[in-house]
Amino acid sequence: MKQKVSIVVMVDAVGALSDRTLHNGNISLIDDSVAGSRHQGTPDLITAVVPGQVVQWTPIHVDVQTPVEIQAIEFLPGAAVPPPADSDDPAVPPAPPAPAYPVEPPPAVPAPDATGSNGHENHDLLVWEGVVPYSMVPGVPYRYRLSLKLHEGPNSVLHIDSPALLRV
Amino acid sequence: MAQQHGIIVLFDVENALRTRSLDGNTYWFDNMKFLGSTGEGTGDLVTIVPGTYFLDGSQATEQVLNWLPAALGAIPPTVPRNYLAERERAHDQRTLQQLAALGGEGEASGAELTRLKQRVGRRPRKQAGGRGLTATKLLDVTGSTTTSAAAYNYPAPVITDITGQAVSEKIIYPAQYGSPDMVYDGWYWAATVDTSRPGVYPYTMHVQLHELVEQNNELVWQSVDLTCESSLKITSDPKRNAFTGAGLGVLPLPAFPPAG
Repeated sequence: MKQKVSIVVMVDAVGALSDRTLHNGNISLIDDSVAGSRHQGTPDLITAVVPGQVVQWTPIHVDVQTPVEIQAIEFLPGAAVPPPADSDDPAVPPAPPAPAYPVEPPPAVPAPDATGSNGHENHDLLVWEGVVPYSMVPGVPYRYRLSLKLHEGPNSVLHIDSPALLRV
Repeated sequence: MAQQHGIIVLFDVENALRTRSLDGNTYWFDNMKFLGSTGEGTGDLVTIVPGTYFLDGSQATEQVLNWLPAALGAIPPTVPRNYLAERERAHDQRTLQQLAALGGEGEASGAELTRLKQRVGRRPRKQAGGRGLTATKLLDVTGSTTTSAAAYNYPAPVITDITGQAVSEKIIYPAQYGSPDMVYDGWYWAATVDTSRPGVYPYTMHVQLHELVEQNNELVWQSVDLTCESSLKITSDPKRNAFTGAGLGVLPLPAFPPAG
């Protein structure tokens, strides 16, 4: 078993900020797991992991002079939710396409304190890594919301919900 | 990730040459205001350099500084480096065509010849024994030849050295590098930063400007060497785990597994 699995998040920051999305080829996720990851190089990367392994996320900016940092990684909860409202009712707008599994709003995860000694927020201080717990159920992708901060300002944070970890 | 700091230094060349000083004639700007740089757009820029280290004390990120000079009222640095030569040649060709047209029929009027003579413009020489500037014609910022002393375009300012406390205390290691970039003539000054010693460190930038002077009935570009000051503020903070706020822990997976 590998001690550590690295996930590299490559971001075309200028493209992402122009499109206001991390899709359209503006992000590419790649890992070095040897356990059979899927969808390498896409925003839908499913990383194959083994309990006890350390998973580490690292952002890389294609345009080196636009700062790109990870703002948050939140695992989406898997508890059951009621089925979507009756879509036959014309007053109700059509429900969005159902996700692969029921998704509740993400739990209130306290935002990591990224304040540096000079009082400014610096997400470069944070190391995004953690140990895969033994409680993880095999064969089920645990999707996570990956939020990236591109420079600063009200429109600087973009996210995707598509990547996942999968215990093999 | 380490950031690449872009530091633009904008020079008011004309004023600097007149007063023989860069005081009040430089405007500094960098891309790190959001991490605490101060004095953006003034002569008193303090560039923040946020250093980080791992909990074992080893350096976690390297910071890179890139200095790029620019001149007020000059040809924009985004045009290709052979812009001046191309414009000069185009002008010569058009003048030759008009001259040929004049000689075709009848007599060329003195006024037309004078106009064409004006068109050809003037070509300043290099300083005797001087290096660097090619002897191109005087062009204005639109790339047209000019004989007007008020409208010509100054050659781009050249950084010739970076010295001062930040260098002598080995906080930065500046050097000039070449790149295939067509902008900035393919040369630029850059430095890596030792972020293990927080503090404010001033540095001195040595700049060469060029002044057009009349000498023995000839125009000559003379180099004028001036200096200006700026400083770096280096901070250093430990890295910490983003999930736990402290050391390594288990990933915060949901208690209930997603339905397969």
